Amino acid sequence: MLDKNLIKTVLDRALSTNGDFAELFMEDTVKTSVAMISSKVETASSNRLFGVGIRIARNYHTVYGYTNNIDKDSLLQLADDLAQSFLGKSQDIEFELGELQEGNDHHIEVLPVDVPMEDKVDMLRRANKVAREYNDEVTQVNVRLVDSVQNVWIANSEGTYIKDRRVHVRMPIAVVAANETTKQTGFYGPGGHIGYEFFKKHVSVEEAAKEAARIAIVNLHAEECPSGKMPVVIDNGFGGVIFHEACGHSLEATSVARKMSVFTDKIGEQIASPLVTAIDDGTIPNGWGSQSFNDEGERQRKRVLIQDGVLKSYMVDKINSRRMDGEHTGSGRRQSYKFAPTSRMSNTYIANGKSTFEEIIQNTKYGLYAKKMGGGSVNPATGDFNFSVGEGYMIRDGKIAEAVRGATLVGTGADILKKIDMVGNNLLREQGMCGSASGSIPADVGQPTIRVSEITVGGRKGAN
Amino acid sequence: MNYQLLFQKAKDKGIEDIQIYQTNNGNFDITVFNGELEKYAISDSSRLKIKGLYNGKMGTVNTEINNDDMIDFIVDGIIASANAIDSEDEVFIYEGDDHYKEVEGLYNDSLETVDAKEKINATLNLEKQVKSIDKRIQMVQAFYGEATTNVLLKNSKGLTLEKKVNSGVYGVYAIASDGTDQRTGVEYIQSNDYNDFDFEKIAKEASKTALDMLGAKAIPSGEYEVVLKNTASAALLAAHGSMFSAESVQKDVSLLKDKVGDKIASSNITLVDDPFKKASTKSGAFDDEGVATKYKEIIDSGNLTGYLHNLKTAKKDNTESTGNGFNNGISTTNFYFKPGELAYDDAVKSMKKGLVITDLQGTHAGTDAVSGDFSLQALGYLVEDGKITRPVALITAAGNYLDLLKDVTDVCDDLKFNFGFIGSPSLKIKKLSISGD
Repeated sequence: MLDKNLIKTVLDRALSTNGDFAELFMEDTVKTSVAMISSKVETASSNRLFGVGIRIARNYHTVYGYTNNIDKDSLLQLADDLAQSFLGKSQDIEFELGELQEGNDHHIEVLPVDVPMEDKVDMLRRANKVAREYNDEVTQVNVRLVDSVQNVWIANSEGTYIKDRRVHVRMPIAVVAANETTKQTGFYGPGGHIGYEFFKKHVSVEEAAKEAARIAIVNLHAEECPSGKMPVVIDNGFGGVIFHEACGHSLEATSVARKMSVFTDKIGEQIASPLVTAIDDGTIPNGWGSQSFNDEGERQRKRVLIQDGVLKSYMVDKINSRRMDGEHTGSGRRQSYKFAPTSRMSNTYIANGKSTFEEIIQNTKYGLYAKKMGGGSVNPATGDFNFSVGEGYMIRDGKIAEAVRGATLVGTGADILKKIDMVGNNLLREQGMCGSASGSIPADVGQPTIRVSEITVGGRKGAN
Repeated sequence: MNYQLLFQKAKDKGIEDIQIYQTNNGNFDITVFNGELEKYAISDSSRLKIKGLYNGKMGTVNTEINNDDMIDFIVDGIIASANAIDSEDEVFIYEGDDHYKEVEGLYNDSLETVDAKEKINATLNLEKQVKSIDKRIQMVQAFYGEATTNVLLKNSKGLTLEKKVNSGVYGVYAIASDGTDQRTGVEYIQSNDYNDFDFEKIAKEASKTALDMLGAKAIPSGEYEVVLKNTASAALLAAHGSMFSAESVQKDVSLLKDKVGDKIASSNITLVDDPFKKASTKSGAFDDEGVATKYKEIIDSGNLTGYLHNLKTAKKDNTESTGNGFNNGISTTNFYFKPGELAYDDAVKSMKKGLVITDLQGTHAGTDAVSGDFSLQALGYLVEDGKITRPVALITAAGNYLDLLKDVTDVCDDLKFNFGFIGSPSLKIKKLSISGD
C-alpha cells in the first residue's frame, strides 16, 4: 500500500487548483478462473489487477484519472494533469487522514488462495459429472469456477481513510441439451461475497449442476411461447431482475440527478401497487452485492426504496447528491480503479407479501409462469425494459401446464409496478452481474413470487 | 520488465516456450451536459498477457504490474495453470509468418494535432447544436472519447511484432419529450481521422431518432414483412458471431457444424471478416497469437465457406489458422455483410404492409447463439402502402437467426458499422413474428 504521507501529498496536489474534493482509490486484485468444457479442463488463469484512480470534484463537476504507475512522480503528475482542468485558486482545504479503518462486516472462512488447484479441478469434475449424468440428451457442459479477492484503499479530502477486502466466489454452469431438431441451454451460477465455504454451507456443486441440467432439458422439450398481452407470474429469486431492470436503474442518481428518469421528482408519490415494498441492502452478511465500505469509502447501508407503493428514496452517490441538493445514500460503487464511482444497486429486492405460491397460481386462469428469468436491459429515460425468460410454463385454469421457451417480456417500469396484483411470501435472492456507467459489478436481485396483471410477452409461436 | 530475463527464468523452470503480449493504453474521455463539462477522464495503463507451454499444456497469467519483481509470480503461475489443464488439444507458440501486411490507417496523428481544449469546445458545441434543432429536445449529453494503444508481442521463438492503433469517437445521447411521451436517440461517429467527424450529421441523426419516435405505440401481434435497419442488423449479427467460431463448432455448440459448403443464407448475403478496414480498433496485421491476419468471406453468396480459426482449432481440424486468435479464444475482426444496391427508402416503399425495425434492445439476453433463437424488444415504424405511418414501440420481434438469413429478400446499399467494427446494410426480410397488442 502507498504511504499515508504520500497519499496526503497527492490529495493536496489534486486540490492545488479550484477543486473542493479529492479522492484516491487504490486497488490490488487477484482473480483466478478455471474452466472445464467437453469434460476436460481447458483453461486456467490468474489475473492480477493493480492501479490507482484519482478523482477531483468542484461542486458536481468531476475529473477522473487512473494509472498503474504508482511511483510518487507518476501520481503527482496525474494529480497535476487532472487539477489543470479546474481553473482558479486553491480553496486551501485543510484535512488530516485518520487512522486506517478496515472493513470486516463479511466473515470469510476459506480464502481462494488457500484452495489448491486440484480441489478446484475436483469441484469442476463433480459438477460436470452430475450434469452429464442427469439426462442422455445433455451434450455439452461448460462449468467454470471464478474467484476474486479485491483489496481497495480509499482516502479523501474529508479525512476518510479506509481499507476494504471483497472476496467473491461463483460457479457459472452452462448446460447444452440437444435432440434432432434443436439445441437448448440451461444456466445456473450461484455465488456470494464469501470464501469457498459457500459450496459447503449454501449450495453444493452437485445441486448447482443438477439445476442447470434440469433447465436445459425442460427447454429442449418446451414448445415455442405464444405471444401477446397476458398475466405473468414471475417466480422468486432471479425473477427480481424485473425490478432491477425496470425500476432499480431508474431510481439511481445517475439518471435521477440529471432529471433523465421517469421517477424524477416523485418522492412521496404512489408509484407502485400498495403491495410493493422494495429494498436495496448492501449490508446483508455475505450477500453477493454486499460490501463493508462502498467504493467511495462510505459504510454500505440498507435503503428502503419503495414502502407500500410509495417512493421513499433514490440511490445516490456523493457527487450526484450535490446535483440533487441532498444527502447521498452510500450508493457509490465501481468495478475497479479504471472507473469513477457512481450510484449503483447492491442487493435489491421486493419484500415478502402475504400470498402463497399456490394461491397465486390457482388464481390465474390463463397466463405465463416465468420460473427462471434470463437477463435484460432498460432505457432509463423511457423506462422501456426487456428481459428474457430462461424457463417458462403456461398457466391454464389455475394449474401449471406445458413448458414454453423463447419468451421475452417487454414493458415500462412505471406501468408494471402498478400492475403487480399479487405478492408471495417466499423471498429469495440470486446473483447477477450488473453493467452500467461505473463498470460491471456483482449485484443480487430478488423477490418473492409475484403476479403482474398484464405484460407483453414475445414468443415465436405467434398470437393465440 | 526485462523480458529476456523472464524468458530465461521460464526456460530454467522447464517452460518450453513463452510469449508476452503487452498493451499500453492512453485514454481521454469527456462528457458535456447542460452546457458544462461534466466528466473529464484521463488514463495511462498497461497490461501484460503471458502464456507458456509446459508439459504440452498452455498456462496463462495476466498482470497489470509490469516489473522484474513479478517474474517469479508469472513463471509459477504459468506452471500451476498448465498443470491444471487436461485438455489433449495440441497447443504451441507460433514462430511467425513470412509476411505481415502493412496495414494503413491504424494510427492517424490528426487526433493529437487537435488539443484537449478544442475537443471540449467541439463537444460543448455539439450539445448546443442538438438542442437548437427542436424545442422538444429536452436533454442532451454529448461526449468525446479517444484511445491510443501500443501493442508489443514477443516470444521465445524469436518473433517480435508491434502495432500502434488510435481511435476517437464523438457522439450524443438526446432525449425528446412532447409532454406525454419521452424518447431517446443516440448517434456517434467513430474514426481516427479528425476530418471524419461530421458534427451536423451526428446532431441531426440523434435528434431525428428521438423526435420521430415520439408517440410510439405497439402494433397488433402477427407476422410482418420487415426492413431491419443497418445498425439493428449489426447488433443482431454481433450477438451471433460465435456461431462462426471453429471453437464453438468443435465443442458442438454451433448450429453451423457440418455445414461448410452448404447454403445457409439467402444468395444476396456475403459475410466478411476484414482485419484491414481503416480507422478500426480491431484492425491489424497479426492476431494475439502472432498469426498474420487475412481478409475472408465466411459466407459467400449464401454459402458457408469455413469457420474462424486460431492455432489450436486449426491444428485440430488439420487446417491453417485464419488469424482470429484473440484473448485466448476466437474473435471476429471487422465483421460485416456486404452492401447491395437497393436504397433504404426504396426498400421501405416496396412494402405494402410492414415494419421498419430501427433498434433491437437487450441482445445480450434475448438471443442465444447456440440455438439461434431470439426474441427481442424492438423499436421502429409501421409502413402502410409504402409509407411510414407511425412510430412503434413496446413490441418484440422473434425468430431464428439462420431462418432470418435465409429470409433476406434484398440487401440495401447503406452499410453502417457499430463501434467501427461490426456492420450491416439494412436488410429486407420476408417475415418476422411480432408480438404487441
